[in-house]
Amino acid sequence: MADVGGANLGGLNERAGYAAGGWLGPLARAQYKALARLRWQMFANGLRSNKGVLELGARTFGMIIYALMGLALGTGMGVATYFLALGDKWRYLPILFWVLTFIWQMIPVMLASFQEQFDLGILLRFPLRFGSYVLLYLVFGLVDISTILGGLCCVGIWFGIAAAQPGLLLWTTLALAAFALFNILLVRAVFAWIDRWLAQRKTREILGAVFMVGLLSMQLMNPALYEKRHSGRSGHQQQAEQIREAQARYSPLLKKANAVQQWLPPGLVAAALREAVEQEPAQALGALGVLGMYTLLVGGVLAVRLKAEYRGENLGSAPVRDKAGSGRSKATASLAFPGASSAERAGGWAAGGMVAGSGPIAAVMEKDVRCLLRTLPLLYAIGAPLLLVLVFSGIFIKNGAVQGPVFPLALPACMVYAQLGFTQVFYNSLGTEGAGIQLYFLSPTPFRTVLLAKNLLHASLFAVVALLAGVLTSLRLGVADTAVIAATVAWLLFSLPCNLTAGNIFSLKMPYRVNPGRISRQRGSQANALLSLVVQLCILAVGAAVFALSWFLNDMWLAPPIFIILAAGALLVWRRVLANADAIAFGRRDAIMATLMKES
Amino acid sequence: METAAIQTHGLTRRFGALTAVEDVTLSVAPGQFFGFLGPNGAGKSTTIKMLTGLLEPTAGTVEILGQPFGAGALDLKRQIGVVPEGMALMGRLTATEYLHFVGRMYGLDRETTNRRTRELLEFMQLANENKKLVTDFSHGMQKKLALAAAVIHGPKVLFLDEPFEGVDAIAAGMLKNMLTGMINRGATIFLTTHVLEIVERLCSHVAIISKGRLVANGSIEELRTGVASTLPGTEGEQRLTLEEIFLSIVGAGGQQEQAPELTWLT
Repeated sequence: MADVGGANLGGLNERAGYAAGGWLGPLARAQYKALARLRWQMFANGLRSNKGVLELGARTFGMIIYALMGLALGTGMGVATYFLALGDKWRYLPILFWVLTFIWQMIPVMLASFQEQFDLGILLRFPLRFGSYVLLYLVFGLVDISTILGGLCCVGIWFGIAAAQPGLLLWTTLALAAFALFNILLVRAVFAWIDRWLAQRKTREILGAVFMVGLLSMQLMNPALYEKRHSGRSGHQQQAEQIREAQARYSPLLKKANAVQQWLPPGLVAAALREAVEQEPAQALGALGVLGMYTLLVGGVLAVRLKAEYRGENLGSAPVRDKAGSGRSKATASLAFPGASSAERAGGWAAGGMVAGSGPIAAVMEKDVRCLLRTLPLLYAIGAPLLLVLVFSGIFIKNGAVQGPVFPLALPACMVYAQLGFTQVFYNSLGTEGAGIQLYFLSPTPFRTVLLAKNLLHASLFAVVALLAGVLTSLRLGVADTAVIAATVAWLLFSLPCNLTAGNIFSLKMPYRVNPGRISRQRGSQANALLSLVVQLCILAVGAAVFALSWFLNDMWLAPPIFIILAAGALLVWRRVLANADAIAFGRRDAIMATLMKES
Repeated sequence: METAAIQTHGLTRRFGALTAVEDVTLSVAPGQFFGFLGPNGAGKSTTIKMLTGLLEPTAGTVEILGQPFGAGALDLKRQIGVVPEGMALMGRLTATEYLHFVGRMYGLDRETTNRRTRELLEFMQLANENKKLVTDFSHGMQKKLALAAAVIHGPKVLFLDEPFEGVDAIAAGMLKNMLTGMINRGATIFLTTHVLEIVERLCSHVAIISKGRLVANGSIEELRTGVASTLPGTEGEQRLTLEEIFLSIVGAGGQQEQAPELTWLT
């Protein structure tokens, strides 16, 4: 039984002097104290190692960045709300709340693998009440980055309305508190259910298929959009005509959408504030009541999931229905394997060599492809930048026409986004191995061969994503100048080995465990995330400097040879690091295995 | 003189101020079924990790089949099989996929890997679980799969860290037969387990480690004779069990007597 800070979680029962009570009773309160102390001790113990101190520094830095982002967003929201309230333009308020909901719900998905989260499942062996479990689940969610950003935005909106309409203070507080509660519960519920679905192979494959269909649809949608826009470039008059046509066509749809959104939480909170301004307290209360029902509904959905977890469902071993006929098969009489004869060994690769196409390289690549196809979060991380490219390329388009001066460099800029999705894949390439990492140390395959196989696979995947991103950008913005295409390809040839080299070093020196079946409640590593970002920025800075030089000298053909020379250097460094991979890996095998095999 | 299958000299491992294993020198002859015993935290897993290249010794040497063994001894690694403490499984693969992967990592060609995978899954009674991912396996099934992976390349020396933990009685019986068969065909097995009955039935030689130091080493009969001679009234009349020998050597008998009674337990 764990004795935590003098308070024994398991022994805190009536016999030990604590009355059980409810979820705020003496037993529960003692458990909360013990848990708070446990977290503190885990934090303090974590600082005993250099890695722990580095993690703390990175986390603090990250928090400052997010707090600044939150303040900027909150200020922006506050100013926008102030002017909307001042100008009595309440009908536009739902837009702000929809944006806020989007930020609140999407940020955890984007940052899930980088945030350290505490798995409360380990507490289930203690006499913890369900109410206490739910409370702890929600309290631990409050330190989530999305909640901090969302909360700061709510505070901004509160100040905006308070400054413009001081009489609405009470209503605003009430409405924003209800809205915040709804979002907190929704984001937790979504994650809890996604984790559940990802834990089962069949649902995981269905989700993967839906995800791929989504990506393909995006690709197909894009040419269609481009075609429309392209035909719209024929003249201002025709363009204006088309806009009028579109308004006439889509206006009824927008009205319908508006009617629907009014009944959804962001619309309801805006409606409650608007009704309060119009001195309609009953209708304002009604809107808040419906919002409260949504909150209850989402809370109920979350509770169903938490109840299952509370009853002991372990997502790591999600129930799989046994086949009726899966009885024991008869064992074969005996097994007598001789040691691997030379004929049985895969076609004579040298143990110390790095021959492309040798058995272990193909085996590692094959295994990683299988694992990748069963790991939705990683597929998402790789595919999401394509969505970003789609959104990002929109910056260069205005009223259906491509904007002038920035456009020529849009292709390399979009490629940068495509590469960002591979950060986790490049910089933590061993993260999903779990206990399997032991096999790499036990088998007669050199570690550099394992890393080479992973690098080859990741480079191939990146080539596919970069090609798709290039096609996407060309369809959205038109085909770039040949010199820009050549420079972009040359830059990729430079940045890829740079990222792979740094990624190999990070994977061996700063790995962190990734549970492939989960989006939330990952351990993550702030230090890895932050330092890999710094390395990526350095690579980008070199690329930007070469592009700027070529741009300044008005000769974009200058960039490709420079990048090719840099790429040759980067390849040499990559080869050297790979050659040293065994020394690094075996020198750090204790730490690597301890980190990657850690369960919680 | 015959070359030892496993030979250590002064094997030591320190973690900061803590000495987990100190000056362990032992020799395991080819074809021996060797039991390595010790109480919790005595240093068994640390020793097996050093013997298999998963942990670097602070001092001392390891020789396997007469050659120095370290992390980089790739050819020697082909001769050994290991079921380590963490089982080295990959949860996102099926059992078949995992065994294919392991076989190829050990240098077997595809055809041999496929054949042996089939046979091993049949033998381990895992052939019907082909659609399940390893992560969805029970602990016992995972142990069987880990053992299958350890022998797929036909190792000459097999290291097993708690291989029977969580395995049901029927499967355990089969595994014992398989291991005995390997010994009969000349393999060497180094086994750690807390189930002394298994060691007594299978192993010809035993070493006992306590607080990081080797406190006994020899055949079971030698240990029995040695312990019996120190206990009054046991000579000649009583045949000591391995459990009695073990408790006598690691001194747990005394500890049991000194342990306070937990009167608050119902």
